[in-house]
Amino acid sequence: MHLMNSELFTLTYGALVTQLCKDYENDEDVNKQLDKMGYNIGVRLIEDFLARSNVGRCHDFRETADVIAKIAFKMYLGITPSITNWSPGGDEFSLILENNPLVDFVELPDNHSSLIYSNLLCGVLRGALEMVQMAVDVKFVQDTLKGDSVTEIRMKFIRRIEDNLPAGEE
Amino acid sequence: MAVCIAVIAKENYPLYIRSVPTENELKFHYTVHTSLDVVDEKISAMGKALVDQRELYLGLLYPTEDYKVYGYVTNSKVKFVMVVDSSNTALRDNEIRSMFRKLHNSYTDIMCNPFYNPGDRIHSKAFDNMVTSMMMQVC
Repeated sequence: MHLMNSELFTLTYGALVTQLCKDYENDEDVNKQLDKMGYNIGVRLIEDFLARSNVGRCHDFRETADVIAKIAFKMYLGITPSITNWSPGGDEFSLILENNPLVDFVELPDNHSSLIYSNLLCGVLRGALEMVQMAVDVKFVQDTLKGDSVTEIRMKFIRRIEDNLPAGEE
Repeated sequence: MAVCIAVIAKENYPLYIRSVPTENELKFHYTVHTSLDVVDEKISAMGKALVDQRELYLGLLYPTEDYKVYGYVTNSKVKFVMVVDSSNTALRDNEIRSMFRKLHNSYTDIMCNPFYNPGDRIHSKAFDNMVTSMMMQVC
């Protein structure tokens, strides 16, 4: 597998986010845009992922969570988040990222306090799962950039998408 | 142990300067400002040799009655100046060197922050903390 220098990767993502911050007036729009870009990456990335990883169909959401954390994150970001905080119904869980490679070096300036810097990841997860007939809600609940000790992504299963048509958001 | 730490841009304007709060701040600004001439002198005097050896540490710039001023210049001509109390004799060249290296690494991290525009003044908590730790450290 080809490897990319992690600083170059981090700086590339940083350049993307700061450019968005210049192009949009408020942080909410930037968050939305990051999510949309992530979505477009996700719907493509899932094909690559399925082709390369040879994972089969998941039987329940717990299995999906395992695949995301142990295979997908490992493959694309080189980290393995831990899975915790399952809801009693088994339809909601948290991914805990000890270190997030996207935010190396980053310090959020005070005037961007509501910016969700790594929101691209949410979009990627949402887009990828949508292509395998799962509608999910993904959001950050903790972020090291905002002073939390870990980064936590909360994922909630909404429903199975019955027909095979992807929603047109591109 | 360090009483004043400054980062100076290539064009000789300050990017960051902080001194211990107990002392007169302006005095240190003067000290650092005067030291820049010595830095320039050193660079031009042994510029060629320095480049060849890839040596960034300039050594003692000049001593005053109460303080010693040390300098360090990166390959991109950003200067670090550190003023230390001259009563502190325990501080050897090697330690100064490693402090400068720490400063340099920290500066590199700031440059990699996408929200920092090169040439702006440095407002970084991480850098602040690092500088504070250098000022507090006891030898």
